[in-house]
Amino acid sequence: MNSPAAHFSLHGRDDGLNPGDVLLDVRNVSLAFGGVKAITDISFDIRKGEIRAIIGPNGAGKTSMLNVINGFYHPQQGTISFRGEARRRMQPHAAAASGIARTFQNVALFKGMSTLDNIMSGRTLKMHRNFFWQLLHVGPARDEEIANRRKVEEIIDFLEIQHIRKTPVGKLPYGLQKRVELGRALAMEPDLLLLDEPMAGMNLEEKEDMSRFILDVNDQFGTTIALIEHDMGVVMDISDRVVVLDYGRKIGDGTPDEVKNNRDVIDAYLGVPH
Amino acid sequence: MDVLYTIFIDPFVQMAEAPDFLLQVVWEGFVAGILYALIALGFVLIYKASGVFNFAQGIMVVFAGLSLVGLHEMGVPALLALIMAIGVMAILAICIEKFVMRPLVGQPDIILLMATIGMTYFLIGLGEFIFGGEPKQMITEELGLPTGSTAFEMDNGGLVILQHIDIAAAVIALIMVGGLAVFFNRTRIGRALRAVADDHTAALSVGISLNQIWAIVWFAAGIVALATGIMWGARSDVSFALEIVALKALPVLILGGFTSIPGAVIGGLIIGIGEKIGEIYWGGLVGGGIESWLAYMIALIFLLFRPQGLFGEKIIERI
Amino acid sequence: MSASDSAGGMPVTFPQYLLLNAERYAGRPAMRFKDLGIWQTWSWAEQRDEVRDFALGLRALGLREGERIAIVGTNRPRLYWAFAAAQSLKAVPVPVYSDAVAEELAFVLANAGVRFAVVEDQEQVDKVRSMAERLPGLEQVIYDEPRGLRDYDHAALRHFADVQHLGREAIAADAAVLESWTEGVRASDGSEVSAILYTSGTTGQSKGVVLTAARSVRAAESTANFDRLTADDEVLAYLPLAWVGDHYLNYAQAYVSGLCMSCPESPETVAENLREVGPSFYFAPPRVFEGLLTSVMIRMEDAGPIKKRLFKHYLAVAKKYGEAVLEGRSVPLRGRIAYALGDLLIYGPLRNILGFSRIRVAYTAGEAIGPDLFSFFRSLGVNLKQLYGQTEAFLYVTCQEDGAVRADTVGPAAPDVEIRLSDSGEVQFRSPGMFTGYYNAEEKSREVLTEDGFIKTGDAGVFDADGHLKIIDRAKDVGKLRNGALFAPKYIENKLKFFPDVKEVVAFGDDRDSVCVFLNIDLTAVGNWAERNNISYASYQELAGLPRVYEMMREHVTQVNRDLAQEPSMAGAQIRRFLVLHKELDADDGEVTRTQKVRRGFVAERYAPLIEALYDGSSEKYVETEVTFEDGRKGLIKATVKIADAETFETAQPVREAAE
Repeated sequence: MNSPAAHFSLHGRDDGLNPGDVLLDVRNVSLAFGGVKAITDISFDIRKGEIRAIIGPNGAGKTSMLNVINGFYHPQQGTISFRGEARRRMQPHAAAASGIARTFQNVALFKGMSTLDNIMSGRTLKMHRNFFWQLLHVGPARDEEIANRRKVEEIIDFLEIQHIRKTPVGKLPYGLQKRVELGRALAMEPDLLLLDEPMAGMNLEEKEDMSRFILDVNDQFGTTIALIEHDMGVVMDISDRVVVLDYGRKIGDGTPDEVKNNRDVIDAYLGVPH
Repeated sequence: MDVLYTIFIDPFVQMAEAPDFLLQVVWEGFVAGILYALIALGFVLIYKASGVFNFAQGIMVVFAGLSLVGLHEMGVPALLALIMAIGVMAILAICIEKFVMRPLVGQPDIILLMATIGMTYFLIGLGEFIFGGEPKQMITEELGLPTGSTAFEMDNGGLVILQHIDIAAAVIALIMVGGLAVFFNRTRIGRALRAVADDHTAALSVGISLNQIWAIVWFAAGIVALATGIMWGARSDVSFALEIVALKALPVLILGGFTSIPGAVIGGLIIGIGEKIGEIYWGGLVGGGIESWLAYMIALIFLLFRPQGLFGEKIIERI
Repeated sequence: MSASDSAGGMPVTFPQYLLLNAERYAGRPAMRFKDLGIWQTWSWAEQRDEVRDFALGLRALGLREGERIAIVGTNRPRLYWAFAAAQSLKAVPVPVYSDAVAEELAFVLANAGVRFAVVEDQEQVDKVRSMAERLPGLEQVIYDEPRGLRDYDHAALRHFADVQHLGREAIAADAAVLESWTEGVRASDGSEVSAILYTSGTTGQSKGVVLTAARSVRAAESTANFDRLTADDEVLAYLPLAWVGDHYLNYAQAYVSGLCMSCPESPETVAENLREVGPSFYFAPPRVFEGLLTSVMIRMEDAGPIKKRLFKHYLAVAKKYGEAVLEGRSVPLRGRIAYALGDLLIYGPLRNILGFSRIRVAYTAGEAIGPDLFSFFRSLGVNLKQLYGQTEAFLYVTCQEDGAVRADTVGPAAPDVEIRLSDSGEVQFRSPGMFTGYYNAEEKSREVLTEDGFIKTGDAGVFDADGHLKIIDRAKDVGKLRNGALFAPKYIENKLKFFPDVKEVVAFGDDRDSVCVFLNIDLTAVGNWAERNNISYASYQELAGLPRVYEMMREHVTQVNRDLAQEPSMAGAQIRRFLVLHKELDADDGEVTRTQKVRRGFVAERYAPLIEALYDGSSEKYVETEVTFEDGRKGLIKATVKIADAETFETAQPVREAAE
């Protein structure tokens, strides 16, 4: 008989990279909107298997950085290399196809759809059977649907959201919506997971839950994670390395301890004028 | 008293006295309703996926019909012309996506509405330039659609006459609605469509290409337009006048809700049947011509009581 | 050869029943569990194999006869298998509440001296490990759910499946192992201890109730017969695993009758799973029924006008004829037709929504149930009955028979149970499943057992004319006001709690001049009322303090006083003053037990300033209260609690003597 505990793997593709190799390399990237500079000449890298935090005060350019990485914005200068391939302009759906998944600061879910459908939508790129098969809902398309549904159920189990499987996400409290959004990103089996303030607006308990999920994802599936977070305490606890931005520039980079003792970082956070 | 009698009593007496005639009226209304429904369907598709109220749906119907007939007139065999007309709608969809939607993405809805109004005039011009402004005869027989009619004798000796083409229209409409419902609910692209309809940013982040989806929706709306064009053309002719009739879809949408496929169908039927009955039995009161505005009246009254439309809001599911 | 051969008759232990069921019901479902969105099913034969593999694994790890093994977690198949596996080795399962904090958990594990613990997941593993130094005797921890445990040191930690694997290896290495296990099970005469259940007592540390195999089996058999349970019955195991109710109703009755037990997907999905499973036997404490009624009513508030009218109309029909139809009494034809129509339109769909469509027998117990609430479910066609039970009895002391059901009694003695009232009015009983004593607590056992072998329940009760028992309060809580009037706090509290917007009540009055009460409002019901009336509030505290909420509560208190005035023996104990507490009574703060029973003494001590204010005539009082959050942190909440006066009534002339 089936055992209650499922064998569960959501590892990304085997790309020949070993843990510690550079997965994403950001080189001298600058981004401006009209005359306003959002990001100025920033370089850093994200290594395979790590949890990388991007922190900084409000308006430091953190979300812009994330939007550059997943193709929402196109930088005027600099290059971004993902798994060694450099790119200048990339559409978001192409970024998704290459293995980058993300969540959003203000939760971007399909509010009218159920939790299940939302997470299923993360499987879009994993389903290839053409549409006539799908119309008929038989044969290979059906098998494909079942296989994908199973993956999604594993994620639902992992995130402990069985009870809201069929609930339209628009009706869910914020904390759970954040979890569903994480689920949808996980369903993409990404190589790089970008989390934009995953704990924003959460209470302490929800934050702890979310931290645990992030650590578990990183630990169990080996997913590389880059996250933006406001809550310094949480960031220092869960990340391996931290990049600090301020006014669109990089002012610090290193392990949490190194960053904590960095003079510029302390100044930026204490609001010392430049 | 007399007025009350003519409004509230007389029409029903008439209906009761000549049920065969009533049935004929209802059937006529039903067929008109199906055509309204088809047009509304085109609106719904595009509105669902992009939130754009596509003012050009009416002209797309005309344009599709003209392409088909025009190609045939140029000597293309009917079935090949049909396939080519589908191709024309595909090209149109891709062009709209590339030159209208993509540059305007993220703009307020009103801008997109204006763009579709612009598109309407562009298509009128383009159609007249290529195919001329004269009304054309639909190539019904060449397409293998049935002609002729069947008469049913009623108990009281009256006759109800059903045009075969109308029956065909009903069947084709049914198939299209069924097909679209399956498409939306069962396929990956359907799910992607719903995703796009719900939240653009989120859809992008899971790897859905907005451009591709929009092209597909406009193409689907084009196919619906082509079917509408053929059916409508077969009943009268293919002319730019049709564009005005297409505005009847507005009350249908108000009734059925802007995002509901079944709503479009039922709304279409209510409007179609309602306005025919209104015209025949009550039209005389105001000197006729009721048909041209009754639909809007019905919609207006409806708006007062259920602004979200018949199916605009999800009915609470009983588990 | 069947299991019954060896013991000369019917099985006398649960593992013997397991072997028997694996033969007589081999392919029939024994256990279901929803995993990854799909219901998985194990037949009795498969369940036997799961249990056997785990038992042999435990034996390979060194578990021996008489040793204790803790089981901690929510309702999951593997944890239930752990019970049978331990029992098959004559080891003793000791279930612990999964929401027990580390301290409580450590107390039970240390008190029972467990060598092994089978736990659900990382959370429980962490709890056990955090208490490691207090548990030197604990050697192995076995977990069901591996998530998050990958990087833990596995020296003394194993996955359930790995233990089963050990068991299968043992069989593969030597086929005689299998035989010896089966023989071991069959050889038992049922005199061994089959479980130690720790009570979550209202006072002090919990005590381990020692139950023996043959007695437990005997008790389960007699009630399974009483309610005619068969292998066709279905239950949903959602009650706390460590509670006697779950162990008896789901585990014990399942084994003796062969019925199928389903485990919910997670504690949050119980309502949904209930609908899917459609159990035929169901138990829930009154507060669950109360919650269901509240949610139904709230849903109807939001329904359309036609639906609402239909609902109201047919509810009235049900009230008039429903119970009579259920009990097969004579009903006029018109009533029958109306009820049948109502069943089609309202009751049927409603039962379906609640997951009650297939219920044949439902019980409630634990505390008094409001008569209206009780009748509501019965009139819908749910055969809801009451029972009165105790852990020490291995559950049943009294229970109601189909057709002889009443809201205000708990029924006559259950099959094979003897009941009597002591001179002081305390209920005492002797039952087939009764315990042999508290574990490692001779002294306490002697306190509870009478010389002639009856168990003192500590509950005060009376028998009515038909021999039905009526529980009025805890014997020690029944007191007197200074003017000599009888004061049964629970009686008063229950009357107030029957109002849907009152969640909890604590009454004071023993050795005082008058009766005063603390109230907890029901956040769902009152919150919904506030929403409908466009009253905004940010927290429980704010809602509880609203003048309009106080007004509502005052009406309830007035109504209760009016009722009390009608009862000659209770009329002296009308409520003079009340207050609405600024926080909900919470098990994490120790104010209620894990089974939601108020710890009266503790509450009185904790809120002493408020009680003082109730009696000194002040109209409000500022207090600071320490609270424990779910993650174990402590905090302080501050509030100025208002105190209100209540209307009291003249004692009614005694019209007739109350039935003895």
